[in-house]
Amino acid sequence: MTGSVVPRRVAQARRRRPLFSRTHGWDNWIYLLPAALFFFIYMFYPILRSMWMSFTNYKYISQAPAQFVGLQNYIDAIKDPVFLTGLQRSAIFTAVFLPGVIFIPLFVAILVDRVKNVRLATVYRLILLIPAVIPAAMIFVLWRWLFDFEIGPINVILRDYLHLFNSFNAPQWVGLSPLAIPAVAFVEIWWGLGYHTMFFLAGLASIPRELIEAARVDGANEWQLFWRVTLPRLQPIMWILVILRFGSAMAVIDDFIIMGGFNRALPTYTWTVYMWHLAFQIGTWPQGYASAVGWLGAVAMLIVVAILMRVFRNRD
Amino acid sequence: MTSAESSLANTRPDNRVPPTRRKPIPAHTVLLHGTIIFFCLLIVVPLLWVVLTSVKSLRDAYTGRLWPEVFDFTHYAYVFQKMPSVVHNFTNSIIVTLSTVVITTIIAILAGYALAHLRLPGAMVVGLILVGTLFFPTRLVSIIGVFQLERRLGLINTLPGLILPYITLNLAFSIMIMRGIFQQVSPELVDAARVDGANSWRTLIQIMLPLAANGIVVLGIVNFVTAWGEFLYAYTLISDRFMFTFPVVLATTFGGFGEWAFPRVAAMYIMAILPGILAFSFLQRFYMKGLQEGALKF
Repeated sequence: MTGSVVPRRVAQARRRRPLFSRTHGWDNWIYLLPAALFFFIYMFYPILRSMWMSFTNYKYISQAPAQFVGLQNYIDAIKDPVFLTGLQRSAIFTAVFLPGVIFIPLFVAILVDRVKNVRLATVYRLILLIPAVIPAAMIFVLWRWLFDFEIGPINVILRDYLHLFNSFNAPQWVGLSPLAIPAVAFVEIWWGLGYHTMFFLAGLASIPRELIEAARVDGANEWQLFWRVTLPRLQPIMWILVILRFGSAMAVIDDFIIMGGFNRALPTYTWTVYMWHLAFQIGTWPQGYASAVGWLGAVAMLIVVAILMRVFRNRD
Repeated sequence: MTSAESSLANTRPDNRVPPTRRKPIPAHTVLLHGTIIFFCLLIVVPLLWVVLTSVKSLRDAYTGRLWPEVFDFTHYAYVFQKMPSVVHNFTNSIIVTLSTVVITTIIAILAGYALAHLRLPGAMVVGLILVGTLFFPTRLVSIIGVFQLERRLGLINTLPGLILPYITLNLAFSIMIMRGIFQQVSPELVDAARVDGANSWRTLIQIMLPLAANGIVVLGIVNFVTAWGEFLYAYTLISDRFMFTFPVVLATTFGGFGEWAFPRVAAMYIMAILPGILAFSFLQRFYMKGLQEGALKF
């Protein structure tokens, strides 16, 4: 009896299970379909389109049809002083921002981790996380006010309360000033302080208690404990943050537009602002050239990301 | 690091003698809490300054004095009663944000579940693409293409024209968060459900979702904050001030005289950041749990 049933089941199974069947799992792609639609229409297509445009002389406000110009846009961009200065400005911003966004949250996390009182530790975490729930644009609007030369409270305190400056020599925080880049970097660090502190707190919590106890028993002091036990354990997190934040710092644009605007002389006129300015405001909106600027900047930073990743991997 | 060294001096005797309670607080504790409180003040004081500005009388707002002589609490009502365009912008923000959060969350739950627990050919490739979007400046490189796409579809200056790119903006990150959270659920549970005859859909609804509730709260808040305050796309895809979302109006106005006097702009500012802070404070318990359950690693 069994002998006749089994072959029939197998036969049925074969008939019911062609290539796209449950056993292969292709039908599970239905769960990814909505995501795939959005990725294809609003991410892959625009990215590929901007790549294609970067090889043409496409201008948005122009009747003439776009012509294929090969690498001309890229050659122009490499010689374009505005683009090169912009790239340099982004690099300076990144160099100021990156150490701050790693080491200050690390420091705060180590402090908060030592708080024994559970309720107090929670309150500290919550306060530190407040900026993480304020939208980016609102952070920059806030600091644009705070940094304002005339009515900003920072200068009001420095000038009218502490009398350290008068209205002629008070510091110019944003705008045409060497302080503009550090000021924007400070704002970004302020914004990310709580969020990154949470990263490091999660990392600290994952260090086994016994490891620390053992080191203490062996006579390590707090300083040695930090350098020999804590820091090596946190290194993977630090490297991931360095790579991620390098990428986001080089591509920062909202801050610079909101706090600086579109004046080429300003230190906040970076390559990203230049790209946007070209594509949506300058002259006939040369979006072909703007795309080339965008791709060139993106490739430049991706090369650095790749190098950082290699260094990270070799360290493991 | 002086706190670390001073604590060393204090921990050694503690190991020998049982700590006596209600003694004066040791110096390193004062230093520890003092430093943390300094950072907390650094975060809270600027925000309090905006609150203070929003209740200043118009006259006090233009003098170089931090503490006003006369308070005026009418600015909030003024914005809602006398500035119809701002109310309209506020409504735009609510529509755009709610749509984005709901749709993104649903899509991310579906995709994250499939990636974490279902047999999926090509899952590796999908994972690589997701990670790749973290490193590639997608938003920047795609913005010109998105603009042209929306121009052709007639979506410029419309709310769907904002919602669609906003969903895409955070989608990869959201899917990774959801995948991380679903991965915390043991595969045996999924197998058990399958043996009991539940299909993949029922497993998701009845077993996965209740377990992932905290993570979904984190996801909701992250997406809320991004969509509520997104600037660059709104600035690019919307030219009609009436269609702007609320934060973009604030970002493109410095404030000054007349309707847009500083206290009124400050009142608008508080209204713009309050929804996020309120949602966070109501949901913080879930939020913190969600972070611990793996919403932070991706």
